[in-house]
Amino acid sequence: MGGLQKKKYERGSATNYITRNKARKKLQLSLADFRRLCILKGIYPHEPKHKKKVNKGSTAPRTFYLLKDIRFLLHEPIVRKFREYKVFVRKLRKAYGKAEWTGVERLRDNKPGYKLDHIIKERYPTFVDALRDIDDALSMCFLFSTFARTGKCHVQTITLCRRLSVEWMNYIIASRSLKKVFLSIKGIYYQAEVLGQVITWLVPYQFAHDHPTDVDYRVMATFTEMYTTLLGFVNFRLYQTLNLVYPPKLDSKAESELKAEHEADYAMDSESYLEKLSALSASLARVVATAEEEENQMDQFPTEGEDQENLEAREKEQKEQEAHKRLFEGLKFFLNREVPRESLAFILRCFGAEVSWDQSLCIGGTYDVTDESITHQIVDRPNMDKQYINRYYIQPQWVFDTVNAKMLLPVEDYFIGVTLPPHLSPFVEEKDGDYVPPEKLKLMALQRGEKPGQDDEEDDDDDDDDDEEEEEEEDDDDGDDDELTEERNLKKMENQRAQGKTLAVKVTPGKVRPWETGSVGNRVRLEQEEKAEEKRLAIMMMKKKEKYLYDKIMFGKKRTVREANKLTAKRKAHEDASKAEKKAKKQ
Amino acid sequence: MASVKRLKRVAASQPGFIGFKQSEDLNSGRRKRVNKNKKKNWNKHSDIQDVEEFLDDVRLQERAAGGLISERTDESLFFWDIGEPKRKIQPEVQQDHKGKKSKSRPLRIDLILQHDSLVPPPKDILAHQQPNAKKLRRIAEKAAKLASLGVVTRRQKRLLNRRPARATVPKAETDANNFPERPFYDLWGEGAKETADPYFLEQTGKKLVKRPEKLNAKPSVLPAVEIIAPGGSYNPDFFSHQALLLEAHEVEVKKEKAVLRVERQLAVNREDIATEETVFQEQVEGLVEEDDEEYESEEPGGVSTRGSLPQEKKTEKERKRERADKLKLQKKQAAQVFTSRKQQLFQLRSIQAALKKDEQQTAERVTQRKAKQEAEKSMPRRLGRLKFQAQDLEVQLSDEIPGSLRTLKPEGSVLKDRFKSMQKRNMIEPRERAKFKRRHKLKYVEKRAFKEIT
Repeated sequence: MGGLQKKKYERGSATNYITRNKARKKLQLSLADFRRLCILKGIYPHEPKHKKKVNKGSTAPRTFYLLKDIRFLLHEPIVRKFREYKVFVRKLRKAYGKAEWTGVERLRDNKPGYKLDHIIKERYPTFVDALRDIDDALSMCFLFSTFARTGKCHVQTITLCRRLSVEWMNYIIASRSLKKVFLSIKGIYYQAEVLGQVITWLVPYQFAHDHPTDVDYRVMATFTEMYTTLLGFVNFRLYQTLNLVYPPKLDSKAESELKAEHEADYAMDSESYLEKLSALSASLARVVATAEEEENQMDQFPTEGEDQENLEAREKEQKEQEAHKRLFEGLKFFLNREVPRESLAFILRCFGAEVSWDQSLCIGGTYDVTDESITHQIVDRPNMDKQYINRYYIQPQWVFDTVNAKMLLPVEDYFIGVTLPPHLSPFVEEKDGDYVPPEKLKLMALQRGEKPGQDDEEDDDDDDDDDEEEEEEEDDDDGDDDELTEERNLKKMENQRAQGKTLAVKVTPGKVRPWETGSVGNRVRLEQEEKAEEKRLAIMMMKKKEKYLYDKIMFGKKRTVREANKLTAKRKAHEDASKAEKKAKKQ
Repeated sequence: MASVKRLKRVAASQPGFIGFKQSEDLNSGRRKRVNKNKKKNWNKHSDIQDVEEFLDDVRLQERAAGGLISERTDESLFFWDIGEPKRKIQPEVQQDHKGKKSKSRPLRIDLILQHDSLVPPPKDILAHQQPNAKKLRRIAEKAAKLASLGVVTRRQKRLLNRRPARATVPKAETDANNFPERPFYDLWGEGAKETADPYFLEQTGKKLVKRPEKLNAKPSVLPAVEIIAPGGSYNPDFFSHQALLLEAHEVEVKKEKAVLRVERQLAVNREDIATEETVFQEQVEGLVEEDDEEYESEEPGGVSTRGSLPQEKKTEKERKRERADKLKLQKKQAAQVFTSRKQQLFQLRSIQAALKKDEQQTAERVTQRKAKQEAEKSMPRRLGRLKFQAQDLEVQLSDEIPGSLRTLKPEGSVLKDRFKSMQKRNMIEPRERAKFKRRHKLKYVEKRAFKEIT
C-alpha cells in the first residue's frame, strides 16, 4: 500500500493533552506563576481516559492539561503582567544589591500590578452565576479573616477579607435571609437563601488556629485573591438590590447612638468604623430612605384544581418563611462575655432581635445589663450571682436550636446549669422509614403545634416511641402496604393521643369497617380505603418485570424501617440503662 | 618656605626666646658639599630640622598656653608659694552629692575627644565669599531688568511650555488586589455596546478572547462546602455520634490492615532463619560424602540423545499414507460441520435464549458502567504523581464531648478542610511539600579550638 507510515502519538488523545511542564514552557512562566494563572482563570488539570496513549507509551503519573485550555491561556493579558513582575523583582534585587536607593524607590513606585475584574466577568458572565459559586469564596474569606497577623499571609489580605465578610454578614442581616445554623466541632455552618440561591458557608471558631504545615499557603492565597474580588463585586450588587449604600454606612441614627466617649480605647480611628460595622448591632444606611420594607404581596392568579392546591401550599410556605424571618422580633437580648459574640449577634440580628453586650467586650453595645427591658440573657456558665427576675437566663444553644426549629422553643430545657438536649443537624433530611431521633420527633410535634406532656415529658415521649414501634411492626406484618409514610404514622399518633392513648387498633386497609357512612371522618377513611384498593389492584396488574422491581423497592424500604426500628429499640435500651444508672447514683 | 625662614630669623633675632625643648646645636657635624645652583638640591640638602622643631614648639606653646611664653608677663607665669590655702568644702555635702556626681561626670572618652587647644579654629573664608559672585550678580541684575520690561527669555518659555509632570500618586498601593479599601463597582451592569468588528477587536487585543463554554463546567459534582455528619455536632445525638465514631473506626481499621499487610510481607520466613543444624550443615558441606551422589551419577546414563540425532528421511510410502490421513480428517471435519448445522435448526430456541442472555448481560454491563461513571464524577481523579488522601475524620470521643459551647475544643482545621476539599474537587493536584535537598554533601571540618579540647 502506498502512503506514509502512520506515526504513533501524532493524532488522537496524545495531541489533545499537554503536560504541565510543557504548558509552563509554552506560556514562558515559572511553575508558581503558572499555577497561579490556572487558579485565577479556572483551568484545572484533567485526567485523560487513556493515560498510556497520552503519555506516549509511558505509564508514569503526570499532570495533564487540555491543550485547548492552554491555548486559551495564551490570550490572557495577565500573563504579560506576570512576566513584567518577574522583571520588576529582578531589577529591584539588582538595585538593592547596588544600594541604589533612588532606583529602588522609583521601581517601587512603578510596581506592576494587575486586576482580576475582567477574569471575574469572564468566568461568571451573569450575576447569578457568581452567586452560585459564592460558597467557596465565603468560606475562604471568613477563614482568612480569622488569621492572626503573623506573616503567614499579607496583612492587607486579612483586612480585606475581614471587610468583605463583615459586608456579607451585614447584607444577610439586612435581607434576613439566614435559614440554618449548625454548630459542629469543626466550625459553624450557615445556610442562607439569597435571591433564590441556597448558599452554605463554614466559619471557623475564633482563636482555633494551629497552622497546619501540609497546606500550600501560596495556593490558598491565590484562591483568596480571586475570591475576594468576586465577593466584593457580589456584595456591591447585593447591596444595590436592597438599596443599601455601598460601602456600607451605619444609619445616621445608629451612628449617633454608637458614639462612645472612649472610642479611642477600642481601635484606631481608621479601624473603628469597620469595628462598629462588624459589631453588627446597628442597621445600615439606605440610598433612598424608606421607613421599612413594605410587605410584598404575592400576585394572585385565577387558578383551578391542582394549581389551586399548589398555590395554597406555596402561599402557606411563604407565610411560614415570613414568620421565620421575624422569629426574634421584639425580643431584647444581652450577651454575656463568655459566649461567642459575633455568631450570636449575627444570628439574633438576622431574625430581628435587639442585641447588646458588655461595654468592655466589644464596641457597639447599645444598652447595659441593667436595662429592665431585656427579655433574654445568654449565659454559658454554671451559675449566675445576680439575676434579674424579668428575663430568661438561657444557654446559647437555645438560639441555634430555635433558628433551626423555625419557632421559639421552650426555654426550660436551656436554663443555666441544665443538661442541654442534643444539638441536631438541620442539614439532615430524613426520608420515609429512616431512623429519627426522639428529640427530633419531639421537635416536629412541637412544630405542628402540639404541647408535650406537662410533667412526665420523657415518659410520654417514650410511650410515643413504643406506639410507633408497634405500628411499624404492624406494617411489616402487613407486607405490601408500606405506603404508610412517616407523616401518616405521626398523624396516627396524634389521633391516638387525642383519643386518650387507649386505642390500640390494628389498622389494615381493605377490611370492611363497621362504621356508618356519612360523617366527615368516615368519608376520609373511605377515600383512603379506596385509594389503597386502587393501589392494590394496580400492583396486581403489574407486569412481571415491574412487579419484580416493585418488590425490590418495597424490600429496600422495609429494610430501612427494620433498621430504624432496631435503632429505636437500641436507643430505648440505652436510655433505660442510663436512667437506671441515674437512679442507682441517687440512691 | 619663605615664611619659615622669616620666622627662623625672627626667632633668632629675639634675645629672650626660650624654647620648650632644649634644642641641640644646629651646626654640629660635617657639612655636606652639594651644588647649590639647583633648586632641587636646595630642597634636598638644606637642613630645616631646627626650623621645624622651632615651629613645632611655637605651635605647642600656642596650643597649650595660648601664646608664646616669652611674651607673657611674669605674673601670669609665676605665683607666690605661701603654703596651702584653707579648704572650705564641707564633707557632708560631698557625701550627699556623691551619687549625683558619679552620674554627671563626663565619660573619659568624651574628655579625650574634647577640644583642648587654646588656638581658635581658623575662620571659614568661604562662609562670606561666594564663588562667581560677580557673574551671578550680573545675571540677576539682567533678569530683574528683563522682568521689569516684561520680556520672557527663551529658557523660561521652554520651561513654561513643558507639560507639568504627572502627580506621582503612590500607584503601587492602590493597584494591589488586596488593597483593603479597594473600591468595587457594578461588574455585571450594562456596559457600552461595542460597535466595532469583534474579530478586529480580538486581534488587536482590545477585547478578550471568548471563553469556551466547556471551561465553565465544574471538574467535580461535589458541593463546595460539604457538611459534616450529624454526629459532628458539638453536642451530638447519641446515635449519630456513634455512627460517626463507627465510620472513623472503620477508617482506622483499614489503615491498620494496610500497615499489617506490609509488615506481613516484610516479615522473614521462619524456614529461612538459620538454625544450629543448618549452620552445621553449611560448615561441613562437601566434607562428608553423601549417598545422594550415587543416584545422581546414575541419571546421566538415562538421558536420551533423541534431540541431537538427525531425522531419517521419510519413505514414499509414508508420505502417501500421511496424505491419505490428512484428506480423511478433512472430510470428517466437513461432515461434522454439516451435521452440526443441520442440528442447529432444531436448536433454534436454545440459541435464541443464549442470544437473549448475551444481550441482557451487555445491557447490565452498560448500566453498571454508567453507574460507575456517574460515581466517578464525584471521586477525586488521579491528577499527578500523588494520589488524593482524604483528611482524617474529625471526631470527638464520647468523653471529649463538651457540655457547653464555652468548653468546646474545636477539632481539625478549617484551612486544611478547605485545601483538601479543593483537591477532592479536582481543582488542584495533590502535592507534597518540596523537600530541601543538599546538592553537595556538607564537609565536616574540625576546628582547632575544638580539637584541642577533645
